[in-house]
Amino acid sequence: MRLIVHNMLSCNIRGVVNKFPLRIEPEKIIVKEVDFNPDFLKHMIAKIDWKALVDGARSMGYTELPDHAPDTTTLESDEPFLRKFHHSLLELHLEEGSLVCSETGRKFPVNKGIPNMLFHEDEV
Amino acid sequence: MKATLAPSSLTFTSLPYSSSFHSSSSSLLFRCPSSSASMTTTTRGNVAVAAAATSTEALRKGIAEFYNETSGLWEEIWGDHMHHGFYDPDSSVQLSDSGHREAQIRMIEESLRFSGVTTDEEEEKKIKKIVDVGCGIGGSSRYLASKFGAESIGITLSPVQAKRANDLAAAQSLAHKVSFQVADALEQPFEDGKFDLVWSMESGEHMPDKAKFVNELVRVVAPGGRIIIVTWCHRNLSEGEKALQPWEQNLLDRICKTFYLPAWCSTDDYVHLLQSHSLQDIKCADWSENVAPFWPAVIRTALTWKGLVSLLRSGMKSIKGALTMPLMIEGYKKGVIKFGIITCRKPL
Repeated sequence: MRLIVHNMLSCNIRGVVNKFPLRIEPEKIIVKEVDFNPDFLKHMIAKIDWKALVDGARSMGYTELPDHAPDTTTLESDEPFLRKFHHSLLELHLEEGSLVCSETGRKFPVNKGIPNMLFHEDEV
Repeated sequence: MKATLAPSSLTFTSLPYSSSFHSSSSSLLFRCPSSSASMTTTTRGNVAVAAAATSTEALRKGIAEFYNETSGLWEEIWGDHMHHGFYDPDSSVQLSDSGHREAQIRMIEESLRFSGVTTDEEEEKKIKKIVDVGCGIGGSSRYLASKFGAESIGITLSPVQAKRANDLAAAQSLAHKVSFQVADALEQPFEDGKFDLVWSMESGEHMPDKAKFVNELVRVVAPGGRIIIVTWCHRNLSEGEKALQPWEQNLLDRICKTFYLPAWCSTDDYVHLLQSHSLQDIKCADWSENVAPFWPAVIRTALTWKGLVSLLRSGMKSIKGALTMPLMIEGYKKGVIKFGIITCRKPL
């Protein structure tokens, strides 16, 4: 599971207010190279919850991201930033571990890179 | 709708049943009478709910196991699209394998065209995030992500399918654009309004609660976004008809068991459900004639030497599934089973 996906997943258990983001508890992380595509990244900046990305990357051991995304106007020339964004968003894979609901502590397992987001009957 | 042979489309603005539907929409459940997933909301309260809960888990498990077992077999013979091909009606030409694969791609393109997504470039550019509900091994996701340069997330109950889908994405250098997880279409792990395109290609058949299914599709679609549902349905009921004929229900029941289909509904039922959500541009069509060559072709491939060997190796669920295929043909021929598309748009 890459952080681009983590940025979309929420815990829809009944009554939970603090659904997003899920905390990451990694057990195995691997890095898989992906072709660098600046246009895709520039488009994604607007759609990403930045704090969730920074916190997610940190929990996966990557601390290079700034606390705030730079101005979109300066993105064009800021390749070092784009590279860090690219690496954290697309190249870090949670292979084994859990995604944890911050409010209830409910764990959603991640096995072989695939999150299991099935809720139980009594949770929804 | 029989008059034309080209895919016909109907724009519904109001239907005879709509007013009565509104009052009962919250408890509108469509079930296979003899299936164990009996989920009518009755005054029996807790017992009914508990029984329903267990059977929902059992259904989810059954669907997951069915696809865990059969996906590899399907992919070996038919490739990565686990849906019907779209054919010109009455085409008598015996198609090659590649002809059928092309038909499966055509099904995707015709669905997009019908919904208005591929009307013009401006519409296409709006598609940035797609959810593939019941994604199989990700054929649609990969195709749509490539076509629109968009991000696609697929959900399936089968961990085997999710893994295979991810592996295929990586092999096709699409890993940055598509991803797959195990999740329930009736309880999608996404926040509201995230997706420009909500895609359900032949997964609606598996949903035990169609109202809940549609609720989720509507919840996760973004304002201005589109929903496309392509699904097996039973024929629309005539005015005054309360249910299918017993022989029709019997035929569907036999298919339900092997394919883990808990319930059938009609295209009209989907339209009613969408109408209850104040959606725009609700359209539907009957594409039964456009998919007629599909099941005979699937049976032919199953009866080849390779097909039989693969079936025997796969297991009982695959074999039972194969034995049920003639019933699908019977259902279509007798006008009980329909292949429907229903699309709409969420207002801005």
